[in-house]
Amino acid sequence: MSEITSSVLIRPAGAGRWFAVLGNLTHRLGLSAVGLILPLAVLGLWQYAVNHEWVAIQLLPPPELVWQSLRELWDAGDLTRNLAVSLTRIGWSVLIGSSIGWLLGFLMGLSRTARDFLYPSFEVFTQFPVVGWIPILIIFLGIDEGLKIAAISIAVVVPVTVATFKGIVNIPSALLEVAKVYRFSHSQVLLRVVLPAALPALFSGFRQGIMQAWLALVFVELLASSEGIGYLMVWGRQLMQLDLVFVGLLVIGLVGVALDVSLRYLESRLQSWRHAAH
Amino acid sequence: MAHAATLEIKNLNKQYQVGDKSLPVLEDISLSIKPGEFVSIVGSSGCGKSTLLKLLIGLEDQYQGDILLDGKRIVGTSLERGIVFQEHRLFPWLTVEQNISIGLLNNTELSAEEKTNSIQEHIELVGLKDFANAYPYQLSGGMSQRVAIARALVNRPEVLLLDEPFGALDAFTRAYLQQELQRIWEKEGITMILVTHDVEEAVYLGDRVVVMQPRPGRIKRVIDVNLPRERTRSSAKFTAIKEEVLREFADTPDTVEELTTQTTVNEAPKNSFLTADALCY
Ligand SMILES: Nc1ncnc2c1ncn2[C@@H]1O[C@H](COP(=O)(O)OP(=O)(O)O)[C@@H](O)[C@H]1O
Ligand SMILES: [Mg+2]
Repeated sequence: MSEITSSVLIRPAGAGRWFAVLGNLTHRLGLSAVGLILPLAVLGLWQYAVNHEWVAIQLLPPPELVWQSLRELWDAGDLTRNLAVSLTRIGWSVLIGSSIGWLLGFLMGLSRTARDFLYPSFEVFTQFPVVGWIPILIIFLGIDEGLKIAAISIAVVVPVTVATFKGIVNIPSALLEVAKVYRFSHSQVLLRVVLPAALPALFSGFRQGIMQAWLALVFVELLASSEGIGYLMVWGRQLMQLDLVFVGLLVIGLVGVALDVSLRYLESRLQSWRHAAH
Repeated sequence: MAHAATLEIKNLNKQYQVGDKSLPVLEDISLSIKPGEFVSIVGSSGCGKSTLLKLLIGLEDQYQGDILLDGKRIVGTSLERGIVFQEHRLFPWLTVEQNISIGLLNNTELSAEEKTNSIQEHIELVGLKDFANAYPYQLSGGMSQRVAIARALVNRPEVLLLDEPFGALDAFTRAYLQQELQRIWEKEGITMILVTHDVEEAVYLGDRVVVMQPRPGRIKRVIDVNLPRERTRSSAKFTAIKEEVLREFADTPDTVEELTTQTTVNEAPKNSFLTADALCY
């Protein structure tokens, strides 16, 4: 009797603990445990499809093969090396792209002259997809690192500029009048009204910028590169080792989620006053 | 500061440019306000009350005529003139205490310690000691408006302008804040100009009630309220003055209803998101 109860009790308790840990983790990530149902179902379907050979194994590698490749690449250091290369590209491009984006956004948001001067050109600029820039960039930058960073930076500039500009333009004039009543200097207006009021927009622009950077990265690495996560995927496709492609997708997805979560965390720390709205 | 000032408005005219048309909003406003006086201004929506306050505070400088404070023409905004807007206009990212301290940000007369003390005093004055560290989203409408009043008072301005400050509040809170305002006015001895479309409020608080009429905004009549304070709203004299003010609206029937119903109907705050022009220097 006591044996039965103990075994009966231990199992759910063990599982319960795991659920609790998992639930806690997802909660911290700002997700609900319910959100895990769909990925798990997809994973199940994937495994099921492989088991029943719905698709040729060369086209749809089984999950354990993907996992195994991931382990091998990790152990050989290939994964970290390629990820480091890609993350460096992303890092520089986000730094350059968002700096330019913030500068443009602030200039156009704060100065009528700058807006009249820059906005028409900027609007035309946004119409070109990153692909369109590449032939021109190749002429000036060759096909080395400079090209990649320039192309990805361009992808970052657009959403960051637009969000920053809109964030500043939409600052309630009521609050700007308050600043005038209390005789704020220009720098006080900037630091104490414009910046806090536009912060949510700045963050959302930055997040969009990072997302665009990933898209552009994969594209650029597919096009001309000998290392990086995107390159890993091209290579895998050419060798018909689709498990490598899946590894690439998985890594990009995970890094993307990790970046997004840490940004969201930073954002909520900087904006405790907005708690009510969330 | 804190000594009250004489405010003189002479032949004030104001137009807004709407498209290519010039829309007259204020026409030949003349009014002389004694130091420490409490003047109420009533009039239906759209008759230019907020515009008048905007001119007096110095947020708008396109006008004809003179606005003189102790004989000197006003130029731009000044810490000697405070305003409480119809909406509280607190910075949502600052706490109650920080919002009030905004009033003293550019005050050069007080030392850092005096500022801290003054902020604490004013938090207590408006009864928000327990909420000093609360954010605006955690406050009720009445509390927010009290913070806005404290922010305007903390500089001890010579003149305080109030633009329908209690319009959005329930009758109970409004009556309470009216009394508070009167107490502060008596204590600080500053000049106050209260815009309202609640006739009872105007008579309750004002030494004089200025009745405005619309299109374009003009002064129709100025009525003295010769009643000792604390005033009783139900007294015969009070009611008589209230009736007298209301009669001024008799020839514009559409406004009478609005004014007699002890209006809690506040204009929805105008969409305050405008083009970035407000920011352009
Ligand atoms: N910035 C502006 N541009 C054009 N017209 C305005 C502007 N502000 C107010 N008006 C107009 O001026 C008139 C007076 O407005 P306002 O002073 O807000 O009246 P009140 O406060 O008495 O309701 C209204 O007809 C309003 O539409
Ligand atoms: Mg108004």
